[in-house]
Amino acid sequence: MTPIIVAEHLTKYYGACLAVDRVSFDVRANEVMGLLGPNGSGKSTILRILTGYLRPTSGTASVAGYDVVTHGLEARSQLGYVPEDVPLYTQMRVSEFLEFMGRVRGLGSARLPAAIDEVVERLSLGSVRSLLISKLSRGYRQRVAIAQALLGKPKLLVLDEPTNGLDPRQIIEARELIRTLSRELSIIVTSHILAEIERVAHRVAILLDGKLLSVHTLGAQGANTRLRVRLGSADEAAVRSHLNSVPGVSIVEAVPTLGIYILDSANGTADAIRALVQGGFAVEEVSATGSGLEELFLRLTEAAGK
Amino acid sequence: MRNFLPLLGKELRALFYSPIAYIIIAVFLFLMGYSFTLTLFLNKFATLIHIFFQSAGLLLLLIPIITMRLFAEERKAGTLELLLTAPVRESQVVLAKYLASMAVVLAMIALTGAYGIVLGMFGSPDWGPIYSGYVGLALLASTLVALGLTISALTSNQVVAAIVTIGISFLMWTIDSLASMMPEGLERILISLSLLAHFTPFATGALYTSDLGFFVSSTLLALFLAMRALARR
Repeated sequence: MTPIIVAEHLTKYYGACLAVDRVSFDVRANEVMGLLGPNGSGKSTILRILTGYLRPTSGTASVAGYDVVTHGLEARSQLGYVPEDVPLYTQMRVSEFLEFMGRVRGLGSARLPAAIDEVVERLSLGSVRSLLISKLSRGYRQRVAIAQALLGKPKLLVLDEPTNGLDPRQIIEARELIRTLSRELSIIVTSHILAEIERVAHRVAILLDGKLLSVHTLGAQGANTRLRVRLGSADEAAVRSHLNSVPGVSIVEAVPTLGIYILDSANGTADAIRALVQGGFAVEEVSATGSGLEELFLRLTEAAGK
Repeated sequence: MRNFLPLLGKELRALFYSPIAYIIIAVFLFLMGYSFTLTLFLNKFATLIHIFFQSAGLLLLLIPIITMRLFAEERKAGTLELLLTAPVRESQVVLAKYLASMAVVLAMIALTGAYGIVLGMFGSPDWGPIYSGYVGLALLASTLVALGLTISALTSNQVVAAIVTIGISFLMWTIDSLASMMPEGLERILISLSLLAHFTPFATGALYTSDLGFFVSSTLLALFLAMRALARR
């Protein structure tokens, strides 16, 4: 099946500053692709190129087979985009805004009311439909932005940091929505929060300083045997020597300066936690890292840093 | 066209729903009404020439206030990104904003038609210069709106957009005054760039295609530059 997005050697300079450096990747149908990287790694720039807001300095990108530069109009009609800061026409009512965006997307009077009803119901916007957007909370604004992006049933949904500024409940709802939507369309989503990407994406492209370090398929490595721990003021040598004496537990990755260790515990994660506590280490944080993504991210970013 | 009409509708709503358009129209009509009445009672001539020049002067000040927000506001709020990533062309976005702003300005100018009606009711004015004066005002407004649109597309600060547009508009209005101090070749160029030099024949009842061509081509050039300023870079 033809990929929805094909990016080849995408490069973008802002003046003399290199923002995206020969990035190539693809996104398949009904796939959620995560772009992961620290702030300033080029994630938003890549999305802006894909959505036609910026032109690449070199390289090519296509959406549903349409080149984003030479066939920009056709490419843009295949996608819905929610920019990072959720810009909306705040002086409009929700229904007015959706109608405007629907018409701009080419929905005629015959299809528009049903299309608006569908996204309003899907995003639970019924209660705020007649309100001014300026009166809405951040969570509702995010929903309105996603609703407009879904008008006209695009093949691709582009979400730039969709959980920024949301409360924990809204983050869970957003995550669920992304999972549901991925059954119908392809999604490309950026985040600088690893745990967020890990929960929604099928594949993750890791970016640093504009370079694509790796494209990683999630859920393929070390499921349920790995955990990430953060230890307070522990000497790395002491941690290593203690854990070496525990059968089945090994250190996969370590960032001693931050006290972070990725451990593999072949007999279940409880063994490793118990061993650390018994060894007298101050265990400040423990979390499961089933995908091995954090380990990969740390390794790649550290290697790139060197 | 299908995508253009909603863009035009949005711009018209934004302009006519905000109080700015009504305040500008009210101020313009009050000042023009005052000037028309005063002049008419003093010189008792059935003419609108002075109204045309005073209107032109006020347009130089008021049009930048109408156009300053067109792109600067969208750029600052980030909605320009939403708009330009939708399946629309830059030319449609620019044209929608231009036509909506022209609608406000032309409505404002058209309301001064009441002065012509008053002159017609109580005197016998020469209608030729009145018609040509209105054509001149509309053409001048067109150039000023397109210029304001271009400047607004270059910044995200509305105040900067307004001040720069006023500055350039006044410079273009009076640039022929500099001409006499310049060498011959430059003198001709400066006069040909002057808004006042091209507007004066219209206000006094003379229609030249060169003046018409100047306003039309300067409008098209400014709209083209606005599109270039918006172009995906």
